[in-house]
Amino acid sequence: MSDVMKKEDKSLPTFRPATDILEREDGFYIYMDLPGVHKDALVIDLQENDLTVSGKTSYPAPENERYSEMQFGNGEYRRSVSLSDIVDRERIRANLNDGVLELYLPRVEKTQPKRIEITSG
Amino acid sequence: MVLDFNTLYSPFDRFDKLFEEFLSPGVAGRKSMAYPPLNLSQDDDTIYVRAEIPGVDMSGIELTLTDKTLVLKGERKAEEGKYYRQERPAGVFHRVINLNIPVQRDKVNATMKDGLLTVALPKAEEVKPRTISIDVK
Repeated sequence: MSDVMKKEDKSLPTFRPATDILEREDGFYIYMDLPGVHKDALVIDLQENDLTVSGKTSYPAPENERYSEMQFGNGEYRRSVSLSDIVDRERIRANLNDGVLELYLPRVEKTQPKRIEITSG
Repeated sequence: MVLDFNTLYSPFDRFDKLFEEFLSPGVAGRKSMAYPPLNLSQDDDTIYVRAEIPGVDMSGIELTLTDKTLVLKGERKAEEGKYYRQERPAGVFHRVINLNIPVQRDKVNATMKDGLLTVALPKAEEVKPRTISIDVK
């Protein structure tokens, strides 16, 4: 049984999910299309500058159904994005909704300019 | 292809083409297909139409059932912001699925989960396969 499972795992096609990267006033946003991926099957890994997203779809395969058209199927999504230094790694947020992963990458907060009071002596 | 039975019509060619497109990594291989990608299947009682439409909830999808077709309409809106990269398809989509079997219109059921739309169309009673008992006299 386990051998069969392994074989099936290997034959899973890998897709690069369609990705949008955009900037707004409060930081950067990444959107990835990951249809069919449940939250539990999604892995987001940050190693140094590389943020890697991977996830497997788990479409059920009902036994008695006969297919006449098949334009998508089970597979694994995988994509890496390099982060620049201006991203605050501690505050990255991820949200998976309706098959779209939203990553929010805030900028590192700039040190506020500080006015130095001069007191007359 | 290894399997090539006929010069006139070969359903295998089509299948092989789809298969190759699945194997080729990247968006490029799938771009040639109409949006959204569809899976059509049926069992004895029901026709199933499945579509991958991530980022659109059920209220943003319009399903219309006519005598012979199921029409799937909707819109994927682009996010606001300054784009560095834009690969996700955006805009209005429209697909017409031919149903060659009559269905029970009032029992059609559509669900959406993780960006996967599933429409179950129960077949009309008269087309369901049934066993006819023959009395031997």
